[in-house]
Amino acid sequence: MLNPDGAGAPAGSRLLEARGIRKSYAALEVLRGVDLVVERGELVFLIGPSGSGKSTLLRCCNRLEEPSAGTLLVDGVDLMSPRIDINRARRQIGMVFQGFNLYPHLDALGNVTLALRKVLRLSRRDAEARAMETLALVHLQDKARSYPGQLSGGQQQRVGIARALALEPKIILMDEPTSALDPELVGSVLGVIRELRERGMTMVIASHEMGFARSAADRVLFLEGGVIVEQGTAEQVFTSAREARTRQFVQQIMH
Amino acid sequence: MSAWDRFAFTFLNLEVARTYWLDIAAGISVTVFVGIVVVATGLSLGLVLAGLRSLGLRVVTWPILVFVDLFRSLPPLAIILVIYFGLPNVGIVLPSLVVLWLSLSAVLAAFAEEVFWAGITSVAPGQWLAARSTGLTFGQTFAHVILPQAAKLAVPPLTNRTITITKNVALGSAIGVSDILGQANSALAMSTNATPLTIGAIFYVILFLPLVVASRRLERRFAWGVAGS
Ligand SMILES: Nc1ncnc2c1ncn2[C@@H]1O[C@H](COP(=O)(O)OP(=O)(O)O)[C@@H](O)[C@H]1O
Ligand SMILES: [Mg+2]
Repeated sequence: MLNPDGAGAPAGSRLLEARGIRKSYAALEVLRGVDLVVERGELVFLIGPSGSGKSTLLRCCNRLEEPSAGTLLVDGVDLMSPRIDINRARRQIGMVFQGFNLYPHLDALGNVTLALRKVLRLSRRDAEARAMETLALVHLQDKARSYPGQLSGGQQQRVGIARALALEPKIILMDEPTSALDPELVGSVLGVIRELRERGMTMVIASHEMGFARSAADRVLFLEGGVIVEQGTAEQVFTSAREARTRQFVQQIMH
Repeated sequence: MSAWDRFAFTFLNLEVARTYWLDIAAGISVTVFVGIVVVATGLSLGLVLAGLRSLGLRVVTWPILVFVDLFRSLPPLAIILVIYFGLPNVGIVLPSLVVLWLSLSAVLAAFAEEVFWAGITSVAPGQWLAARSTGLTFGQTFAHVILPQAAKLAVPPLTNRTITITKNVALGSAIGVSDILGQANSALAMSTNATPLTIGAIFYVILFLPLVVASRRLERRFAWGVAGS
């Protein structure tokens, strides 16, 4: 296998390999060459001030945003290839959103089954069976028939996780999954994420839940000004960062 | 003759009613037929245009906007007359029924496009992101995620537009298509009595009241996600 920089694990264990990702909106360069390499089974935390490009980076990883430059491999598949069937490739990459983005006109079951039926082309029966299993994983099997408007924020986000999970993706990207939640509801969502990790799910999570990062993250990346300023274990980044900017930011989010 | 008698003689004349009601009833089929065809054509075209516009491509959006603004600003009668009396000058002769169908469909499509578009833009952008992230195509996202939410906003104005355009079938009388009102008008001229208009009005109510009631039902059906749904 090609392994151009010769460092780290062999390419086969890399699930996501985004290199040199750049993204500009008109004159504004939001990402200035970001490398995001995630090993199979790894949980990577992405921290950084508001506007530093965390959401943009995550969206570039499944080309919901078109990177202006860079290479993007997901489980060895080149997502930037002109011949790629991007809709097919996106099945492999789950996404969870800060604002949940559930479909308000469909109940929890309908939210989960839509892609199962239209993308995977499962029959209604099979799709519902799989959706019920997935809803059980997020402890919401008894809310299958509730509409998003009838669910708490924590429950909605767990439906959002189930919607991504049901497609059996290789990796899930989460964009501040708990920032829109009331404090007492954060725990239920973090609990589900922890269970996913225990089941070996590979995840990249933009989040400032430092306690959770300490106990669950394999690696923490600090993004600022469109570049990865520093990375390391949660312990390293939070308590003994090399860069002054990192220490300053960590100081801010501690309070 | 008392005032009531005079009123009854003019508007509720059984003699006149007996002579002309069948003619006026014949107009119903024209109103219903043209109405259904126009509504089907206009709403579908409006939806297709709004869908194309949501692609966000300038070369597509521009002609759509020109079409929409043109047909929203011209009076429907002017469009009918221009097509019917103008096009033959350039060698295109269309039957009056076709002219009526094309004109009214274009007007409905123009208004429907704006209504659908307003509905589409009201849907949170995160809905597109979420749907596309699961691998749904643009078309699938539009059909299964965006449109159902846009429809919620679009149904009330669309039913209004539908009813209005169907009543505009009466404009066909200017080019010889006699619907309910056209038939009633001829009967009025021949009988020199207003009873045909009363009959026409009754037919209109019989025709449109169920439509209006049905639209209320439809509006309620689209109020999903609230308690009891
Ligand atoms: N669609 C867009 N058009 C223009 N600017 C954008 C767009 N999306 C994001 N930005 C800008 O890119 C920067 C990074 O945004 P974002 O990725 O949302 O940061 P974060 O998620 O870290 O808060 C911000 O300055 C934001 O204003
Ligand atoms: Mg963000």
